[in-house]
Amino acid sequence: MTHLMTKLVLQLALVIIVARLLGWFFPKYLKLPKVLGELVSGMIIGPYALGGISLEILHGPIFHMPPGAELAITPELYGFAVVASIVLLFFSGLETDLPTFLKFSGKGSVVGLGGVIVSFVFGDLLTVLLMPQVHSVMDPAALFLGTLSTATSVGITARILSEKRKMSSPEGVTILAAAVLDDVLGIVLLAVVVGISKVSTTHGPIPWAHIGWIALKAFGFWIASTVIGIIVAPKLTRGLKRFKSMDMIASISFGIALLLSGLAELAGLAMIIGAYVIGLALSQTDISHEIQKKMHGVYEFFVPVFFSVMGMMVNFEAMKGIWAFGLVFSLVAILGKLIGCGIPAFFSGFNLRGVLRIGCGMLPRGEVTLIVAGIGLSSGAIGHDLFGVSIMTLLVASVVAPPLLIKSFDGGSGYRKKFAAAGGQHNVQSIELSFPSPRMSRFILELVLDSFRNEEFFVQQMDLDRDIYHVRKDNLTITVILDDTTLTVNTQPEHEQFVRLLMLEEILVLKDFLGGLEGMKSPDMMGAEMLRGMFSSPENNGLEG
Amino acid sequence: MNLKRVLNKEVISADLKGETKEEIIDSLVALLFNAGKVKDAAKVKQCILERESKMTTGMEAGIAIPHGKTDAVDELVGCIGIKKGGVDFKALDGKPSNIFVMTVSPLNKTGPHVQFLAEISRLLREESQRARLLEAESSEEIFSIFCG
Repeated sequence: MTHLMTKLVLQLALVIIVARLLGWFFPKYLKLPKVLGELVSGMIIGPYALGGISLEILHGPIFHMPPGAELAITPELYGFAVVASIVLLFFSGLETDLPTFLKFSGKGSVVGLGGVIVSFVFGDLLTVLLMPQVHSVMDPAALFLGTLSTATSVGITARILSEKRKMSSPEGVTILAAAVLDDVLGIVLLAVVVGISKVSTTHGPIPWAHIGWIALKAFGFWIASTVIGIIVAPKLTRGLKRFKSMDMIASISFGIALLLSGLAELAGLAMIIGAYVIGLALSQTDISHEIQKKMHGVYEFFVPVFFSVMGMMVNFEAMKGIWAFGLVFSLVAILGKLIGCGIPAFFSGFNLRGVLRIGCGMLPRGEVTLIVAGIGLSSGAIGHDLFGVSIMTLLVASVVAPPLLIKSFDGGSGYRKKFAAAGGQHNVQSIELSFPSPRMSRFILELVLDSFRNEEFFVQQMDLDRDIYHVRKDNLTITVILDDTTLTVNTQPEHEQFVRLLMLEEILVLKDFLGGLEGMKSPDMMGAEMLRGMFSSPENNGLEG
Repeated sequence: MNLKRVLNKEVISADLKGETKEEIIDSLVALLFNAGKVKDAAKVKQCILERESKMTTGMEAGIAIPHGKTDAVDELVGCIGIKKGGVDFKALDGKPSNIFVMTVSPLNKTGPHVQFLAEISRLLREESQRARLLEAESSEEIFSIFCG
């Protein structure tokens, strides 16, 4: 037992340090996403590479392979990865921007749905066509490979869109809305596939009735828990707020996510569905940002561990004969997204430039792909060879996507002219105030944010490098933006009066403050007093004592 | 938000007494005092006048929203008064004010204080609502216009 724990602690130490270092190195020097660095860290230190070398002090390698086990790592370390996947999906749910999704759900849904269907069909069919041991489209291996082709990791795209200031372009909002649907569908699909793989056999007739029942159960659990979650979340948060401690609220919320994850697994679905559903339900409450803030440290600790541990499971030996398939599969996965998302985008009013932008934006794969692959591997539905293929797909898609996406945003509008008028309509009222200096506008910004806090709103800085704040209470969201000397507050029209009244009071505070300054004794005098005696000897210095 | 938590017919007057800005404020403070909502009327009046001295709360269309912050109250209190003929409240549009909504909020306590004022102002946006208020004969009628 002691030896087991010692090894676990040493393994974790190595994972955390190396994953962190490569997660820092990749974006800084290779201009590649951080997650790739973390993933590669696992491949390097894992049991199939350096971690498999025997060390005298440990009487064996640090990452020894448990004999006869499905996974190459110990259950203890895998446990950390499982909790990490729950943290990840809990955050994915929390970060889901349902209002944006609903606003642009029309276009987003068809684009997302197209991408999911085409990718799934491509992935599934290709596996049947090229893998000799897979004979049926209902084979668990084919189903898993189809499913892991569907998920989009919008994080990389979102960062690029934000850097290029294209987040609210028609392409940007369509990608973000499509990615929400994509996540939902991908996770429901996973639930169904996990269920099916438990009953499906590679030979003999396909038990359609049983499969249908499992699909229905998965979908039912998903719909029911989402609807109940969204209805109950406001009441739940009101109850939790009585504790008056955000730390406690965040911990209990995470506890509930773990609880629902366990229940989902007991219901025969994947754990992450429970975590995602709770995150999604809480994303619509005013404490969602606060929970994210409080849980940030946990996230920062677990997420690199997750990607690194997933990387460790890549068995290079087992991939020997499958490199070609992996490469073809990766390219087809890219094509699947480009075609699946591109065609609906074209019919939604985008021109070819817009179609390419949306297609590229939907390319990156991430945590959901890995989780699906991990579940497939641990349940025995896919072997080490196909697990390697899925990691390869993730690597190829995530390396190819960013430069393509950046390049695709060169040039003009991605909208066809006759549709242009209908695109990107926001029903938002903007209130703008300009001040003589950046210091004064910052002073007012602080006053306004404090004033919102006094009205019991939650204030969250959206981007640490820029002054963009989301101010939320119940279902009300107000955006406050400071750009040099201009303060802009965006709100829905029905809350405009509230914002105006609140800002007026703060302008009066500023007026008071400036009036007070005039009554102050001359600033020159004050300055002189500060400097007086600074260069005289202590005996003559009037300031002593 | 629920206006009933702050308003009841004891803090509503369909016929506010006073011919000047200060007299109107006195009458509004008295409404709160008589309903047992505030104990130190002088302190409340002082915070209202202080806020008026920075900038008038007489807005447009006959509406005035005098308000202030003081430690003389423990929670948000408010009252509504109608002055049919109107008085000069130094309104922004220079016209007489005839609908008065006053709120007093505690100094060091958070809560939807501005939101309450905004909610009432929103209801007064409609000209027909304002006309109904000016025609109302009793505090019950006014209460039902806001909270009915």
